[in-house]
Amino acid sequence: MLRIVSSVSRPSSTGILGKVANTGRRSLASSSARNADITLTVDGKEVTVPQGSALIQACEAAGATIPRFCYHDRLAIAGNCRMCLVEVERSPKPVASCAMPAMPGAKVFTNSPLVHEAREGVMEFLLANHPLDCPICDQGGECDLQDQSMRYGSDRSRFHEITGKRAVENKDLGPLVKTSMTRCIQCTRCVRFANEVAGVEELGTTGRGNDMQIGTYVEKTMDSELSGNIVDLCPVGALTSKPYAYNARPWELKSTESVDPLDAVGSNIRIDSRGVQVMRIQPKTNDDVNEEWISDKTRYAYDGLKFQRLTTPLVKQGDRFVAATWEDALTAIADGLAASGASSNEIQAIAGHLADTESLVALKDLANRLNSDNLILDQTNGHLPPVHGVDVRSNYLFNATIPSVEEADAILLVGTNPRHEAAVLNSRIRKSWLHTPLEIGFIGERADTTYGYEFLGADANALETFVSGKVADSAFLRKWKAAKKPLVIVGSAISEHPDAAGVYNALSKLVEQEKSRLVTPEWNGFSVLQRVASRAAAYDIGFTPSRAASQTKPKFIYLLNADEVDPKSIPSDAFVVYQGHHGDLGAQLADVCLPGSAYTEKGTTWVNTEGRAQLGRAAVSPPGASREDWKIIRALSEVVGAPLPYSDALELRDRMWEISPSLVRYDVTEKTSSGIALAGINAIRERTAGAKIGGAAFKKPITNFYQTDPISRASVTMAQCTRAFTKGENYGFSESSQTEQAAFA
Amino acid sequence: MSLLRACVQATAACKRAPLQCVSTFGRGMANDSIPAPKKESSEIVAPEPVREVLVADAISGAPSQLRHRPVRIYQPTRNTMQSGPGKSERWRLDFDILPGGSRWENPLMGYASSADYMQGTRLSFRSKEDAIHFAEKQGWDYFVQPEATKRIPPKNYSENFVYKPHKLRIMRTK
Ligand code: SF4
Ligand code: FES
Repeated sequence: MLRIVSSVSRPSSTGILGKVANTGRRSLASSSARNADITLTVDGKEVTVPQGSALIQACEAAGATIPRFCYHDRLAIAGNCRMCLVEVERSPKPVASCAMPAMPGAKVFTNSPLVHEAREGVMEFLLANHPLDCPICDQGGECDLQDQSMRYGSDRSRFHEITGKRAVENKDLGPLVKTSMTRCIQCTRCVRFANEVAGVEELGTTGRGNDMQIGTYVEKTMDSELSGNIVDLCPVGALTSKPYAYNARPWELKSTESVDPLDAVGSNIRIDSRGVQVMRIQPKTNDDVNEEWISDKTRYAYDGLKFQRLTTPLVKQGDRFVAATWEDALTAIADGLAASGASSNEIQAIAGHLADTESLVALKDLANRLNSDNLILDQTNGHLPPVHGVDVRSNYLFNATIPSVEEADAILLVGTNPRHEAAVLNSRIRKSWLHTPLEIGFIGERADTTYGYEFLGADANALETFVSGKVADSAFLRKWKAAKKPLVIVGSAISEHPDAAGVYNALSKLVEQEKSRLVTPEWNGFSVLQRVASRAAAYDIGFTPSRAASQTKPKFIYLLNADEVDPKSIPSDAFVVYQGHHGDLGAQLADVCLPGSAYTEKGTTWVNTEGRAQLGRAAVSPPGASREDWKIIRALSEVVGAPLPYSDALELRDRMWEISPSLVRYDVTEKTSSGIALAGINAIRERTAGAKIGGAAFKKPITNFYQTDPISRASVTMAQCTRAFTKGENYGFSESSQTEQAAFA
Repeated sequence: MSLLRACVQATAACKRAPLQCVSTFGRGMANDSIPAPKKESSEIVAPEPVREVLVADAISGAPSQLRHRPVRIYQPTRNTMQSGPGKSERWRLDFDILPGGSRWENPLMGYASSADYMQGTRLSFRSKEDAIHFAEKQGWDYFVQPEATKRIPPKNYSENFVYKPHKLRIMRTK
């Protein structure tokens, strides 16, 4: 049941209208009234809701279901579908419950004959112009209009227009969203989402009444990382998913709730599968992480799971791979390890982007058992111990936590473009930017962030200047100085930058200067935004090289999902093992490939950038002979004669508990106390004292949002998105209209 | 075997006690309640709290392999495609898929075949406790996914028109 909490996450002001009616006094300081609760009666049931709630929220809190099309919990209220009509005592007409504030003492009826009749009337009008597409419409089976017309509608219509139904030209919104605008009921949910959340302000309405149309005014695709969400929002089949068109019906699907590892936000997802295939990915609502949105990569990269898969162990013979049995492959590795003569630190393990926590733990344990500390990360400078260290957790995590981003009153972005590194988090910044006087400062390569920012410079020197306070006075600076909850978001690319030490030194000075506001028991504003799902977990378990190990030339290399490695960094005489699910770059370099499972095929732990551990779940079984990743490492450990002491998932999680309890405390974030956080920052400052700044500009780590990992690189949809959005090419759907326009011009 | 297993599981369960936080792993503990033969002992043993768990797996005739399959207990979230919150207040219990044997494409017709007799089974309970009780009774290892609290701030139509002291950052075109 919906619970309306009065501790607001979204800083919105109380409706003045409601206040005037209640207090009879006009006041602009409107936040104090928020705490008050009001009581009203819905269908004879008393219910108490915070003041300023809409009537529809009160009805929901009372357990009454109100049909609706345009009202959505996470969008502004539009009040244009009129499906939510309810009867309020002493009101002459039915009232739209979403546009009506809940009034104390009101008596509301949601189930009276008047309401029934009103709903039936609204349905009749909506259906007057709605095509009878249900059998060929992708929304069929999960369509609000379908369901609500069955439940609340009339069984016949009185409209028989000779001219037929309204017809609207379809719009071209790009390779992800398919439109059938004739079906649109003008709820404007998509418009509100695009404007408020995604920041695509081109999407809007033209015309009015029966002629109202949704579109982008001039022909333009919807260039946003969150565009897939309008498919969910659309209560009818006007906006449906293009890649999923005519693929399945909702009742054929088996849904599995899991976690997405394609970025470090750890969005909660629902994997819908049929038979052996993942048919689509939907968001799962979680207010602590992704609210109700997921990025387009999360949503549409799933077709990459079908292509380029490694399905059987492969052993290189000469210059070709030969399929082998598990036994042969594992023996080949053991032989290769012996033949390479690698010992202790010459055995190198590289953790890639999509490595899950269980397999990281197993791989680290295995390497340690073979006396190696050479555990490196699959990133630029990943072979060096990270500059922020891994001893204190708050040095590399997003300490402010994702929901609290909305509380920050000044945000400094350092070397990061959250729009591409954490698209869902970016929407929270935008939300806060829209509704509060938040100011944002930006140091790094200029980017279109969907909110305005003040550009402070592009390199470490700019940060240095900012920290020393020698910057010209500006709106951001004033805000920053006065901010009660300032927030510094440090990009993960900073630790890969040649100036990493200098930047972290400057940052630690900044924290030291501002520690009374930046790191307090209530608020930790020093936040590192990781962009890779495995990174936080890798740091948590200490998957980093020792100083001695980072100097050693490896003879045996174990690539765990590592597909970003520079081939030149791998010595030609080294024996390379690749474990992963896609035949991407890593597999090309390998002597033996071991087929692992993708995230939809294993129930493993993912630690997101806040340090929140979440347990995924397998939806389908891995293809061919592939196995769950940690089990492969467990099997290998036996063959190389260093068996690991766990043989089932629960025992492995006990081991994870030993390493760090936070790895198995699911769904919560653990706060680092301010004292320890400050000590961690101090340690950084001491370690990086006197670091030189070269002054190379920060670069965006993600140049193509749609293809960042082996799954999205194998995906056809993501390739189309790359062409349409990243390269801005016409991908073939809107050709005709373009030529027409050209001729017209 | 059952007595031994009971001891193993009891210790496993104790060891796991610190794990019990928001989300819970549990070892099925059906066998705990098998009345162990009273042994005279001079040691003072802290009495185990009596758990009223019927040993259903001993009498239900369910295949013993089932005891090695973890189950998950969770409250399904609302389908984001629709606004109706139906079925999301129940607690659901279902089995993790059987790696390897869960589904494959039948070469004859292309239908999905399965070696997993539990793949179609989904149990619904009115409360989390009911579901946990059931899993314990059956001796299943379970993982409880905590329910997500929805945090929707009070919303108001008049917010669309409210005066903002700072620069107007959005033009509402609707
Ligand atoms: S396209 Fe869908 S979401 Fe957008 S206004 Fe029409 S019905 Fe509403
Ligand atoms: S939901 Fe209230 S008018 Fe549309």
